Amino acid sequence: MPGPREQNYLTPPGWSANPSSWGQRLPIVALALVGVAVAGYLSLFQFGVIATVWEPFFGDGSRKILTSSVSRILPIPDAALGGLGYLADAVTGVIGGRARWRAMPWIVVLFGLAVGPLGAVSILLVMLQPVLFGEFCTLCLVSALISVLMIGPALDELLAALQHLKRVRVNGGSVWRAFWGRGK
Amino acid sequence: MIARLFEAVLGIWLMVAPAVLGYGSVAATSDRIAGPLIASVAIVAAWEIARPLRHLNLLLGLWLLAAPVVLGFGGAAAVDSVLVGIAVAALSRWRGRVESRFGGGWSVLWPPSWARGEEQRELFAAEGRDDGRRQG
Repeated sequence: MPGPREQNYLTPPGWSANPSSWGQRLPIVALALVGVAVAGYLSLFQFGVIATVWEPFFGDGSRKILTSSVSRILPIPDAALGGLGYLADAVTGVIGGRARWRAMPWIVVLFGLAVGPLGAVSILLVMLQPVLFGEFCTLCLVSALISVLMIGPALDELLAALQHLKRVRVNGGSVWRAFWGRGK
Repeated sequence: MIARLFEAVLGIWLMVAPAVLGYGSVAATSDRIAGPLIASVAIVAAWEIARPLRHLNLLLGLWLLAAPVVLGFGGAAAVDSVLVGIAVAALSRWRGRVESRFGGGWSVLWPPSWARGEEQRELFAAEGRDDGRRQG
């Protein structure tokens, strides 16, 4: 089992950098906050708070996409759901210190669960826009790009946390306790 | 990295190609699904940690190559599909530089590779040893 000295290191064994450093995490949090702003703006239109939506390239595209049947498939409009997703990305991205890949694996896994599916749904929506409705929506594409950009940098922290849990298991420790950041 | 950028540009090209080259129906649907997928895979695989994902673009490139025959379309749409397919498949073979180390990567999570590698066992035993330590 890891000794007490283990409490002191930040870079995972065999890694060239610490994936939980602020330098790696803050850009993702910033991207997520831009996502909150974009998705929030689009959901204001979907909720009827604002009457028009900014669309520089595709004419009536944004309005058609944002009022389409797919956008109302769930109880709340899809942009509002996206906004909540980005908020979850930002919150789970910022919680915890520079050792969180081993000190708080649960938040890193939660972060991965927030970033991954949001990206996947975004890609799906980008495909549906032209295939089902023959239209594109500029800000929806921007939002999708943001969520895809976050996947890569989020993965390294997730891998470090999973390797840590595996290490605990191989060394005979309790994965459950390690997952919640409790030592022996 | 450069290869991923080219792949992403080709993926985005597929999204606009139906409008630019003026084709519709099944060829356009193929491109409008393959395009975002290729661009997304390229963007994610641009990060060293996710570089192995580039192999998905080999599959998507091969699909573009086969699409005109499988879906039965011709003309500009078919030429575009084949050319972009060849380019994406070829680019996906180009790994690019991977300079960072990730503790053996994703494969160490996999039991068979654990049984295989002495160095990975070393890596795991490294927990608490000096080489991983930084100031607290």
